[in-house]
Amino acid sequence: MSFVESDERKALRAAVFELATGYGHQYIARKARAGEHADELWAEAGKLGYLGVNLPEQYGGGGGGMAELATVLEELGAGGCPLLMMVVSPAICGTIINRFGTEEQRSRWLPGLADASTIMAFAITEPDAGSNSHRITTTARRDGDDWVLSGQKVFISGVDWADAVLVVSRTADAKTGKLKPALFIVPTDVPGFEYRPIEMDLVSVDRQFQVFLDEVRLPAEALVGSEDAALAQLFAGLNPERIMASAFALGIARYALDKAVTYANQRQVWGTAIGAHQGVSHPLAQLKIEIELAKLMTQKAAYLYDMGDDFGAGEAANMAKYAAAEASARTVDQAVQVHGGNGLASEYGLGTLIAASRVGRIAPVSREMILNFVAQNSLGLPKSY
Amino acid sequence: MTNIVVLVKQVPDTYSERKLAAGDNTLDREAADAVLDEINERAIEEALVIKEANEGEVTVVCVGPDRANDAIRKALSMGADKAVHVSDEALHGADILQTSKVLAKAVGTVEGVDLIIAGNEASDGRGGAVPAVLAELLGLPQLTHARKVTVEGGTVKVERETADEGITHLEASLPALISVNEKINEPRYPSFKGIMAAKKKPVEKLTAADLGLDGEVGLANAASTVLESAPKPPREAGQRVDDEGDGGVKVAEYLASQKLI
Ligand SMILES: Cc1cc2nc3c(=O)[nH]c(=O)nc-3n(C[C@H](O)[C@H](O)[C@H](O)COP(=O)(O)OP(=O)(O)OC[C@H]3O[C@@H](n4cnc5c(N)ncnc54)[C@H](O)[C@@H]3O)c2cc1C
Repeated sequence: MSFVESDERKALRAAVFELATGYGHQYIARKARAGEHADELWAEAGKLGYLGVNLPEQYGGGGGGMAELATVLEELGAGGCPLLMMVVSPAICGTIINRFGTEEQRSRWLPGLADASTIMAFAITEPDAGSNSHRITTTARRDGDDWVLSGQKVFISGVDWADAVLVVSRTADAKTGKLKPALFIVPTDVPGFEYRPIEMDLVSVDRQFQVFLDEVRLPAEALVGSEDAALAQLFAGLNPERIMASAFALGIARYALDKAVTYANQRQVWGTAIGAHQGVSHPLAQLKIEIELAKLMTQKAAYLYDMGDDFGAGEAANMAKYAAAEASARTVDQAVQVHGGNGLASEYGLGTLIAASRVGRIAPVSREMILNFVAQNSLGLPKSY
Repeated sequence: MTNIVVLVKQVPDTYSERKLAAGDNTLDREAADAVLDEINERAIEEALVIKEANEGEVTVVCVGPDRANDAIRKALSMGADKAVHVSDEALHGADILQTSKVLAKAVGTVEGVDLIIAGNEASDGRGGAVPAVLAELLGLPQLTHARKVTVEGGTVKVERETADEGITHLEASLPALISVNEKINEPRYPSFKGIMAAKKKPVEKLTAADLGLDGEVGLANAASTVLESAPKPPREAGQRVDDEGDGGVKVAEYLASQKLI
């Protein structure tokens, strides 16, 4: 891994940032408030190949890795347009289908995910299974060649926008009868599949939903890969999910820091720019450092993942997610502070990010669960649960 | 088949502070971020649209220091096929006439050129004379300030738009030179595939000597030189009118004192 980015990576950064600033945060805020999706930006970025850079070229992807995909999401966010569904559709779903799907599943789903004309949501969280995903109760039972799925999911992003949802459920092991995980691709228009929006105080173009699966009948090929590979599939999705959650948070942090710095340079209260007061400048300098450190760890995690080191990437991806989420929550908080009253005025586009800046601390895995991971795995401390 | 040459220039970003170097009053390239001039992005876009409709090849020609390579890469990542880059310390301080001569020679190294597309003026020097001078040097018809271009068979048609003359319809047979204005199109963003492909596209590097122009170019031989320059005076604080029921009258008095009404 080099600390100097390649010319291509720099060009990708510049191109995506320019695209995002062309739309601007006001575009996202307007769409979110109107209850609409970022269709135009999503479609344009998809056509340019930005949203499928990680998927193989033979399926229409860019042939790059998680490093490139994370770069795209970070720059979209830095340009004021964070797109949450990038974490889910190309990163989690695309990776799992590409690594574990059958050839048929790959050719059915990857080309659409690669140019972003297809959107796939990911559903693992249940009312009683958030941080503790061992308690998932959504169950699939065999009926002839078919699968019949029943259960309930919560906080699932983008279901209304998605063509299909990758649903984590359990099946009874044929031999032992014990429950084990299984992943199914569930089109959003099948009978028995229903969803209801959750009222969220989050200004986002990607809304969260409750999902109800009532005896949803699926053909055999809806099961991703083989029946016994689900645990490996879930683990394969974890690193991309965390690396992309880091990129999502980093983008928001960079956008907010840039806003704060611009304002601190312009605003004068005592005849000098407020940025000259160390009470204003030092917190921004600290955040700059925290953002750069989080970015470095994100790049390390993506590099290890792209090298095929799933295990090594795990620690880095968790640490990166922690650091980036902290940086985004703290930077937006400080950026609002630097703006005084304007920090909460719609015109300045910061208030809209207060809730979004905290998403990284909760989803896809909470800050505490990351600290648990580091305490147990990196430090060898005992477990309380 | 339309073989097109697009002239591109790297300029200081208009968002950064632009200034002249203290020593010789040439452009201080280190002082600002350098970018592909936006008008050139439009020129490239137009070339790509014509190529997509008629097939052919798009060659980018650039005169500028080594770091102008970034501007060339951007053009290639948008979809241009290859580039000619004239880079030589000896060109430092070249004026419009010299630059046009160098461009004429550089364009001459590209085979079978049907159409040359330039921006109407660069955002740094703003001379806006290069397209016309180059057309003269190459003996080509010039169709400048185009806001719309159509290529059909062996002819090019242009809607020319200027502030003084309004809109004129021009037509010429190929080969020809056109320059475009900012209304011509919206340039595309480079795709991920385009970015990855740019590195593998050929960029021919040439010096003034390679073009047979050794000893004729550079500041010492320039027909025009900048003797001095001064920064724009800082904006003075405006005059504040407090409205105590007579605000309108005071504003009118002020405007009258400035002979504005
Ligand atoms: C905006 C948003 C989008 C989302 N999108 C999706 C999606 O697309 N798909 C999907 O499946 N899910 C999604 N989620 C759900 C998300 O993954 C969960 O909210 C998250 O995993 C936390 O689960 P929970 O909400 O049940 O919290 P809980 O598990 O109930 O945790 C509550 C609190 O207790 C703490 N806690 C729990 N256990 C421990 C412990 N052992 N030690 C210390 N602290 C602990 C947690 O850190 C947390 O602070 C989304 C959530 C949000 C907010």
